Amino acid sequence: MVRFKHFVAASAALATLGTLAACAPDSGAKNGANGGGVFTTVDANNPITPGAPMNPYSPNGNTFLSYNSMRLGFEKKNPMDANDAFPGLAKSWEIKGDTLVAHMQPDAKWSDGKPVTVEDIKMSMAIALTQGTASVGSGQLSEGLNVASVTAVGKHDIEFKQAAGTNNANFAKQILGQSIVPKSVYGHLVPADIWDTIAASQQVDAAQAKAAQAAVDKLNETGKAIAAFAPKKDVSAGPFVVKRVNPGSAILVRNKYFYDLGKIAPSQVVIRHYSGNEQIWGFMKNGDLDAAPFTAIPTNVLNQILAKGYKRADGTSYVNASIAFNQSKAPYDKKEVRQALAYILDREAITKVGQPVGGMASTAPAGMIRKSTEQWLGADEVGKLNPYAHDEAKATELLKGAGLKQKGGKWYLANGKQWKITLQTVNGFSDWIAASTVVANELTAFGIETKPALSADFGAYQTDMAAEKFDVGWWLTAVGADPRQNFQRLYGESDGFVANGDKVTHTEKKGDGNWMHGDETFTVDGQSINPGQLTASLAGLDTEAKKPVITQLVKATNQEVPVIPMWDYTNVKFTYDKNFTNWPKNGQDAILANQPGVWMMQGYIQAKGK
Amino acid sequence: MKGLARTVAIRLVGGAVMVWIVATFTFFLVHALPGKPGDVAYEKYVAMGMNSQEAKAKASIIYGYTSQDPLFTQYTHYISDLLHGHLGISISYSGVPVADVIGDALPWTVIPILSGLLISFCIGVSSGVVAAVKRSSRLGSGLSLAASMIAGIPSFVIAILLITVFYTNMGALPYGGTVSETLLVDPGWNVEYVSSVAYHAILPVATYVLISYGGWMLSMRSSVVSVLGDDFILASELRGITPSTRMRYIGRNAILPLFTTLALSFGTLFGGAILIEATFNYPGVGQLLLNSIGKRDYPLMTGAFLLITTAVVLANIVADLLYSVIDPRVRR
Repeated sequence: MVRFKHFVAASAALATLGTLAACAPDSGAKNGANGGGVFTTVDANNPITPGAPMNPYSPNGNTFLSYNSMRLGFEKKNPMDANDAFPGLAKSWEIKGDTLVAHMQPDAKWSDGKPVTVEDIKMSMAIALTQGTASVGSGQLSEGLNVASVTAVGKHDIEFKQAAGTNNANFAKQILGQSIVPKSVYGHLVPADIWDTIAASQQVDAAQAKAAQAAVDKLNETGKAIAAFAPKKDVSAGPFVVKRVNPGSAILVRNKYFYDLGKIAPSQVVIRHYSGNEQIWGFMKNGDLDAAPFTAIPTNVLNQILAKGYKRADGTSYVNASIAFNQSKAPYDKKEVRQALAYILDREAITKVGQPVGGMASTAPAGMIRKSTEQWLGADEVGKLNPYAHDEAKATELLKGAGLKQKGGKWYLANGKQWKITLQTVNGFSDWIAASTVVANELTAFGIETKPALSADFGAYQTDMAAEKFDVGWWLTAVGADPRQNFQRLYGESDGFVANGDKVTHTEKKGDGNWMHGDETFTVDGQSINPGQLTASLAGLDTEAKKPVITQLVKATNQEVPVIPMWDYTNVKFTYDKNFTNWPKNGQDAILANQPGVWMMQGYIQAKGK
Repeated sequence: MKGLARTVAIRLVGGAVMVWIVATFTFFLVHALPGKPGDVAYEKYVAMGMNSQEAKAKASIIYGYTSQDPLFTQYTHYISDLLHGHLGISISYSGVPVADVIGDALPWTVIPILSGLLISFCIGVSSGVVAAVKRSSRLGSGLSLAASMIAGIPSFVIAILLITVFYTNMGALPYGGTVSETLLVDPGWNVEYVSSVAYHAILPVATYVLISYGGWMLSMRSSVVSVLGDDFILASELRGITPSTRMRYIGRNAILPLFTTLALSFGTLFGGAILIEATFNYPGVGQLLLNSIGKRDYPLMTGAFLLITTAVVLANIVADLLYSVIDPRVRR
């Protein structure tokens, strides 16, 4: 019926296009009842998807984190403490061994006026375990959601207990980071015996493996039904609730029952749809967004946006762009060759072209971004790492030592063939594409004939990379604030290190990995280490115990150079003082790592003139 | 009448066979694309900051909608579903029927492209007649030259130019979206909603008009010039028939070749204009198709291709049948 109404309206629009358009400027409330007005932004992780359900479990759902989609807490992305978070529906919490006790916001209510109850939280945790998270035995060394029970221990206090045998130091992060949805809306989709099924799936006894797998299958089936569910209307415990989703924008209005409404200035939030970075730039050039997330952006466009009056606030982005190798292919199987390439490439020059606005040239290959490395290792240890500063003489020495030969200004492999590199990148990744030109120029000038090549899209790139069709290409590394997450990108399951209980085995898998075939063990400071085993062990260690392990992994990565990091991305946020003021500032990493809804809950974003 | 029914039946059967061939071809073609929906989603989640395990878990839910059956079995299910009127379930929308997803996008393709098609056709045909009749004058030459130049400019260049002038520099027209973002009235027959839809459609429609105007104008000009040389025009002049009547003769004869193109354009409009929709952030079928390819949403891709194919085949059949009505010579 709605679709028919759309069509009727569309037909009417066609008929009246000429006459009405001329006298139809944008209308709508620009100032709300509280003087806050309309807050307009885009959600970088979740562009509006016309027709998708208002369901946080749908991959393209029209729910927006921190506005109408709430969690118990919002991760601060603190590299030293993964459990560090801003309060959400939980006002505070305590971690006691393998349990977490959360103290709920006493006044938390859904937008239909019903209170947020322990039953809502318990059901939401069960749903989270249906979203592909369930696994037989819950897995030691696993950093997944290993909750075994959710129990009320007070009127507003809830205890979450880890599954038996689990040793996940990031347990609190997992609990706090789950979407909380109302039982009144989702309850009919969740079987009454779901916690029995969850318990069955978590059996570690080998004799129960078949029953455990059956339970996992049952949970996944429930999960599929929940992901496909389309609620008729939005019911939110956040500061806003969806009023309507147009094809071009989602309109959210204040949830009058929100527990901390006094801090929320805007009367409406408009989240605009976009299909490319250029549109976000266009909106900003016209002053149409109050806040905008990071997008790869050329310098000239940045200048236009700043000239319009936008301010930038730079925070840390836990990801870097690297050049990676298939280490089964000569000559990239030799660490001296990878080290030589690191010496040849001038990362400052490459960053200036590839990511001039949102990138900082990487200092030393470490597996983590510069800031995390400094925090974990300290200045002294970081100073001992090899920065691989631009040094062609050193590169020449290393290459000759690895058996390569230089003739007539060109480099030749040990088998006598000329060394040629095809540097693979992906259509649409404008920073990688631009930087590839500089990389190719630098290597070619050194005598290694290099040309960039383009994959049609990321899906094709992944498939061809896993099939080992590329020798050298771009890759995102050091992804996330958590060190384990960073090193998993280099020494994880996709790289052949498969966790099985307490043990990690190394396989030479093909067709389903990423840039692979690094050695199983390295010798660092005269000691043999298994990087996969060390990476997996981080899951159960506290901060102090992690430090020596991370130091070993950083040193190993610095020595072996499985990838050459080019730049650390910067989390650049843009804000505009047209309707609102009091924005987060440069360097406030924790708050900048979150969506503006969290900024509001933390007291930022106030109506101008208030 | 019996003959007409037989002709229609034959055309429809032929069209159905054509649709089946194209559906089969596109089914295997889209499944041959490198990349899997789950893998694409996994990397997206990792880039968003999820750890490997969380990303794999979330992606597995999407992958849960991707059939694990052998490809030929999937094909037989697909054809069987089509025969029962089902286009399948979207992978990237996790459980939403493909027909619903396409149905939501369809009006936003029909509005700008149908409007643009009709407007450009009317303007192009009218100015084509003028350019042909006045072909020796400056006006005629100017019209022809302008049409040739406009026809040569890529659509995205025109779109960006219009955005720069009317949105960025003048701030006179909106860019992106389909209705005013702060409009909180229900979609339907009310002035506020309809005028907002029309207002937001101006730039996409103007782009479509500009990119297709040149083609209509030059075709019509060429067709009119050809008709002007026909004997019956000379005869009508000699018989003293008034210029307005003569123009009617010219117009009716010259427009015939353009009619087939117009009818086929009605079919292709369902595919949207991908570049225009992407540039203007207009959520029509073109943009839906583009996104579905990026996410390897096989059912959505095949559904969108099927819609386009069926529309073109039907438009072709209708054009064939109507042509014999508007041009009596074909019936002989």
